[in-house]
Amino acid sequence: MKNSLRVERAIKNITQAELAELIGVSRQTINTIESNKYVPSTVLALKIARVFEKPVEQIFILEDGD
Amino acid sequence: MLDFCKLCFTFGLINLTDMKSQFLFPTWTRWLGLALFLVHLPVIHIWDTYHIHSYDDGQLFNLSHLFFIITVVLMVLGLFLIAFSRERIEDEQIYQLRLSSLRWAIFANYLILIICLIFTNNKADYKDLLRLNLWAPLLLFIIIFRWKIYRLNRSLKPE
Repeated sequence: MKNSLRVERAIKNITQAELAELIGVSRQTINTIESNKYVPSTVLALKIARVFEKPVEQIFILEDGD
Repeated sequence: MLDFCKLCFTFGLINLTDMKSQFLFPTWTRWLGLALFLVHLPVIHIWDTYHIHSYDDGQLFNLSHLFFIITVVLMVLGLFLIAFSRERIEDEQIYQLRLSSLRWAIFANYLILIICLIFTNNKADYKDLLRLNLWAPLLLFIIIFRWKIYRLNRSLKPE
């Protein structure tokens, strides 16, 4: 699974720390999601999508191997 | 019994959906735990230097037994608080690290336990085995969990 979190953050112009605070997780978690090392739970993915006001599928995309 | 199962099950469900209601101690209890653990070290030292175990006359709550209770309770309570205090930001990734650390700690503990059982056949050793098992799982868990958090922080990429 890949994600466009970094791009969405750049569009909205918020830092990892600010996003982390908005959804109540640590900055480390946002960082590891962005570098594809951590797959967030459905709840967390939905929370992230709500911040960017976009559907989840636009931010988190399945890859062929998944 | 059924009620107890229900209670456990409910706790489990809450854990999965809401990270805030996880059954963990407040963050500050980590320092309390560390203090308790450090306090138990001089008590152990007194135990050893004054040969308190030689006062053992087989009675319950004699001097030797009381010292044993104090040291064990201080140590186990200390380690327990360190192990199960909430992180400053306890999110789902930390929860995952916690679970996998716990699994490795149990694996390692049983490996040590089995090796110890194979290489002991003396009755006196069983007391040491019990003592080892009092602190080993908790200490292993704490070390593995801290190591994983350290590794996580090291692996972060700059923004």
